[in-house]
Amino acid sequence: MNESAVSGAPTRRKIWDIFSQYGSVIGMLAVLVVFQIIDNRFMRIKNIVGVLNSSTILIVMSVAIMMVMSVRGIDLSVAQVADASGVIAAMLLLAGKPFWLAILVAALFGLAVGFINCILMSYLGVPAIIGTLGMMFVVRSFELTLTNGAQPQILFTLPAKRVKEFFFIGQGSLGPIPMLIIICFIIIVIMHFVKDRSVLGRHMEAVQGNVRTAYLSSINIRKVFGATFILSSLLSAIAGIMLVSRSGNAVPRGVESYLTDCFVAVYIGGLVNKGNKFTVVGTVIGALFVGFLSNFFTLMSLGPAYKSLFNGLVIIAAVALGALQRRKKG
Amino acid sequence: MAKLKSFSYANAGDLLLKRGTGIGMVVILLILGLRAPLFFALSNLMDVLKQGSILTMIALGLTAVLIGGGFDMGAGALVQLTCNLSAGLIIAGLNPMLTLPMGVVVGLITGALNAFLVTIVKIPSFVATLGTMFVLQGLTTFYNKGEALTITQQPLFSFLGQGRIGIIPMIFIIVSVVAALMHYFFKHTKTGLRMYATGENPQAAALRGINTQKYLALSFCLSGAILGLTGVLQSSYIYGASAINSGMDFLIQALSAAYLGSTFSKTNELSTIGTVFSGMFIAALSNALIINGISNQQISGILGLILILSILLNVIKKREIGQVTIF
Repeated sequence: MNESAVSGAPTRRKIWDIFSQYGSVIGMLAVLVVFQIIDNRFMRIKNIVGVLNSSTILIVMSVAIMMVMSVRGIDLSVAQVADASGVIAAMLLLAGKPFWLAILVAALFGLAVGFINCILMSYLGVPAIIGTLGMMFVVRSFELTLTNGAQPQILFTLPAKRVKEFFFIGQGSLGPIPMLIIICFIIIVIMHFVKDRSVLGRHMEAVQGNVRTAYLSSINIRKVFGATFILSSLLSAIAGIMLVSRSGNAVPRGVESYLTDCFVAVYIGGLVNKGNKFTVVGTVIGALFVGFLSNFFTLMSLGPAYKSLFNGLVIIAAVALGALQRRKKG
Repeated sequence: MAKLKSFSYANAGDLLLKRGTGIGMVVILLILGLRAPLFFALSNLMDVLKQGSILTMIALGLTAVLIGGGFDMGAGALVQLTCNLSAGLIIAGLNPMLTLPMGVVVGLITGALNAFLVTIVKIPSFVATLGTMFVLQGLTTFYNKGEALTITQQPLFSFLGQGRIGIIPMIFIIVSVVAALMHYFFKHTKTGLRMYATGENPQAAALRGINTQKYLALSFCLSGAILGLTGVLQSSYIYGASAINSGMDFLIQALSAAYLGSTFSKTNELSTIGTVFSGMFIAALSNALIINGISNQQISGILGLILILSILLNVIKKREIGQVTIF
């Protein structure tokens, strides 16, 4: 991109370069345009704002899982943590506790799970797929026991005065901008800073590239690897709080389906960048795309079957594209 | 205990590490069984064998692909698909016995697809099988339209999953035969041993002139075939197919069984026999916990803990960081 900008008239080769670099973004836009042609409700401002608003939760969770994946880990427990922290916050509110305490405890719960994950994966060496899969089930079991068998925690029937502050997170807005989008934006900026500008981010890149080399250049690989798990669980907990505040009730196991969407978002997001690196911006673009996709499927009233078929094909296509690009280079 | 004392402490520790998994399993079951003696009733033990059979079959399928050095997120989803397919076809009037080869073929196709994605397109197996998992889930929901399919009036077919020969459940006999065949294949044939070599250390295997990609692909196909067959057996076992998506639950139990099984060996080698014992242990544990009055909700959490602990036994000595190498 830089080269073609410098040397003026783009030759055919350079156009191809641009295309292959931004091809995935172009492809995503093309898909959205096709959707708009199929159903013209799709690109109405009201719909777009709605999608943006509901995508914020997916964005936060996708960024969470991306942080772990960018050091070659994986966190299958994100959706479950979001789920459980939402339920915890709702239960505390129902018990008449102030909203800040509910949020604090839910966030602390996220931190605690992240800490356990950190110890397991980074300091004891459990492979992340298996460790976090195990944690996913432990957290689910914890949450089901807590709610006595998946009883939904309904907040919107509470007197408005008691839940006003809590609902402000998910339903209020500052001026014209919904609060959710503001929170999401702040998280994106912070995470982008952490990933691209901070020492931790640099170390993460080193661990991603080659653990051995990172270790030899005296990076504390255990700390770096473990930190991503804590970060991801904390972010998921925040996502869970956002979701409960938005919808006004917490249904145990209601967030589980987000896990698959997160994967799709991260892998599509990986295509946005040169060399298929996972970045915050890429993941956000991926998550937005997934958000619009889901919205389209809902508008067309296509069932979950189409959704998961589509998810699977998109993941395979995205990663296959990445693999082919890499092979061409190498 | 008296016998143990004659060893030095180091020896005792060694013995514990070597036989720790087996001893642990027996002790846990003994404690739970003593608290609820019903557990040891012969009919209950036979029920455990029956309950654990499907799980063990899935675990065997997963073991096949793990031995070859791959990974399969979609194992449970494949089982669900063939389970639904066979139930649907039988309801539509197909001869039930034809569903068995159907399951194997569907499994083989899925395995071949996974193998294609992993060995030719070069997608890491975690991601590739995650993709196929979604596709399989989508196909399943597409096929059953979110409804449960119930088979009635198929005595011969139901005999596979529910029948008994003497007091021994038929399905357990099937699992034992499959396990024995797999054991022979992996330990006594050239192809099987090369699959082991491929999974243990691909570089070394390649240097010895083994076509690692071919053997990885083979292990995906073998695993697919077993899992496809398992789905059909499951539809016989539960008289149809449930619409609840329990692919992930299958996966976690099967993974636990496979990894727990690998802790039997000193070098943490995956093995079919180990998988069978662990699969049955997990079934026995769930059974014993339920008899002890632990609710279903907590059992999945306990299984999660077992998964983590079993893998911990494997990795605690090396203590690397848990990066995903298959990714």
